[in-house]
Amino acid sequence: MLRTSVVAFCLLAMPVLAEGENVVIAPPAEGSVSTEDGLQAWARIYEVASHPRCSNCHVGADNRPMWSGPSYGNARPHGMNINAGDSRIGAETILCSTCHVERDGLNDVPHAAPQVAMAWQLAPVEAEWFGKSSVEICNQLRDPERNGGRDHLDLAIHLDHDLILHWAWNPGGGREPAPYSLQDHVNDVLTWGVAGFPCEGD
Amino acid sequence: MRLTVNGKEHEVDVEDDMPLLWVLRDELGLTGTKYGCGIAQCGACTVHMDGFAVRSCQVPAASADGTEVVTIEGLGTPETLHAVQEAWVEHQVAQCGYCQSGQIMQAASLLSLNAEPTDDDIDVAMSGNLCRCGTYPRIRAAVKTAAQKLQEA
Repeated sequence: MLRTSVVAFCLLAMPVLAEGENVVIAPPAEGSVSTEDGLQAWARIYEVASHPRCSNCHVGADNRPMWSGPSYGNARPHGMNINAGDSRIGAETILCSTCHVERDGLNDVPHAAPQVAMAWQLAPVEAEWFGKSSVEICNQLRDPERNGGRDHLDLAIHLDHDLILHWAWNPGGGREPAPYSLQDHVNDVLTWGVAGFPCEGD
Repeated sequence: MRLTVNGKEHEVDVEDDMPLLWVLRDELGLTGTKYGCGIAQCGACTVHMDGFAVRSCQVPAASADGTEVVTIEGLGTPETLHAVQEAWVEHQVAQCGYCQSGQIMQAASLLSLNAEPTDDDIDVAMSGNLCRCGTYPRIRAAVKTAAQKLQEA
């Protein structure tokens, strides 16, 4: 009984540490992150979320992916009149996979279609980030109604698994990658979550 | 690598990252599928892979392994044209013709997913297929005629 209690105590006291498939998921201990540090982590998360590699596919209900970033000058809707439809994969219009074919490895040809080993698609419309402020994205990302019912560990696991997200840090074709690294971003999400998901203006 | 093209099985010995377009044209001699831009910006190389339109210049051979590919040579035959090909002839869509095999393959794919496309449906599905000659009005009309033919068939 005592032994069981000791083991249970140790499990409770230890931070959850999981070797993900692609990143280490190691949140700080509960209560160890101040709101100020949480807000600093959020500021870095916003740099990622608002970066063209991420926000171009986190678009709103018009379902039009964007082309933007340093090489584009002004932001513009995806060429060829592309509209991903309510399905967000182009099922009603032209499938994203017509050009963004599933492949192992990287399509490194400049200006060609980015490709990963899963079906290319827009993020869900609830996760509209393009052109949104830090506070707007912060509130969306901590809202289970609009983040797929995820807590910070679930968000980290999602980042670990989704290959389109990984592409943002290794986009190839001369594109500017998202800032920091996938592991840094996962660490920031975990830090932000342990801090209680603070947003500016709370 | 093994793939089925127009109903016929082929074993080809190519690099994993060779575009399907090169496999079709250079390895199998099927030159009806055209090279336009090589970066998925023009649609000239459109074929069907497992029933869906793809830009063959963007499909690495490794991704085509084991799939069923249909090219313009396999969509219909001179004796039995596909409805889209029939409509293309009736409307005399082609001008220089270079983009037309890609246009026809994309149109056939559209009609397999949407039997009664509106003008907007056609525009949004066909805008990735460029035509330097500007035959777009005839393309749209031919797609509608082909839709009618398929419904009456």
